[in-house]
Amino acid sequence: MNQALASHGELPEGKWIDCPNCEAPCLEKEPQAGEELRCSRCGTTILEYIGKKTLQPSMALSIAGLFALLLANTSPVLSFDVAGRVQSEHIITGVEELLSQGYWPIAILVFLAGILAPALHLGSVAYVSTACCLNLPFPRIRDVIRLAAWAEPWNLMPVYAIATVVSVVKLRMLGGVEWEFGARWVLGVALFSLFAQQTFDMRLVRARLENMGVAS
Amino acid sequence: MRMSDRFRVDLARALVVTGALLYIPSNVLPVMTMTIVGKSEPLTVLGGVKELWDSGLPLIAGVVFLASFVVPFLKLATLGWILSLHGTDRHRQRRNTMHAIVHRIGSWSMIDIFLLSVLAAVGQLGALASVTAESGAIFFCIVMVTCLLAAEIYKPRLIWETPTNRP
Repeated sequence: MNQALASHGELPEGKWIDCPNCEAPCLEKEPQAGEELRCSRCGTTILEYIGKKTLQPSMALSIAGLFALLLANTSPVLSFDVAGRVQSEHIITGVEELLSQGYWPIAILVFLAGILAPALHLGSVAYVSTACCLNLPFPRIRDVIRLAAWAEPWNLMPVYAIATVVSVVKLRMLGGVEWEFGARWVLGVALFSLFAQQTFDMRLVRARLENMGVAS
Repeated sequence: MRMSDRFRVDLARALVVTGALLYIPSNVLPVMTMTIVGKSEPLTVLGGVKELWDSGLPLIAGVVFLASFVVPFLKLATLGWILSLHGTDRHRQRRNTMHAIVHRIGSWSMIDIFLLSVLAAVGQLGALASVTAESGAIFFCIVMVTCLLAAEIYKPRLIWETPTNRP
């Protein structure tokens, strides 16, 4: 069972760190196996036992996600057939069509959440994880970490994948629908993004950067 | 640029009020018009859910209903509750948990916007089939963005401020 180790309110000797959630000062203590350091005010886990954890899974998943994103954006996702006339759909086609209809705020939102943010999120996770795995202090790594944190909530490819399924169900009521090559890559990006997000451990990143001598 | 805590709270409140006001037109006005072989049908968010339900797809209808109707409402209500208790020490732990949940589930309401994008992309078959966005979609977008920004601007640390040191 995990043991709560943090305390605040008193000021014993040692290194103090801020809780990333509520910013309460917590006395840093390196957790041992099975332990974690929790903020005693809000309960957020501040430090976890690292052990033999590495950033290799997040590096592999984010690089795979970038390839999948490239293929998802260059291949048609589905095609719709009404009375013999067929129209296929790329992710960008929806953005272009919304722009041509004059709905640019929606087009910008779809472009941001469906193309730009996934690329920035996966790209920045790949950059930071690769730097940590190769033990190389890549340039502007702190800025890239901030970019990853900004882009993560906007990477909505899992939602896009579900919306595509719903649209297929809806379109089947009106005509013929076929899944195309890009559909599997949309699903791929969604899964790679979710898993990359889970495996990209900021605590581990901080520890690796400290080892490399990159100032926090 | 660094925002003061007072400005963060005021801006988050303004965003939640804006979102709550626009939540009504986003559900009353159609988000898209589908024209299939000359037959036009404007669809609201709930109209789309009903259509899926009537077609014998209750599971998909449930997902869209939750993501497009319930989630934005819950987000606005939860953020409103959190902001109304700002500066007090009531339900702090619960507010903290709810803020984390709002942050996590918030993006699921984008499902309707992506749905519109996919349908608009394939619905370019002239007189046979066309899908056009409608004004409800703009309101829906604004509600989504205001909720996302309000949750982002009102940091969880503000929940834990004591009344004496609040901005």
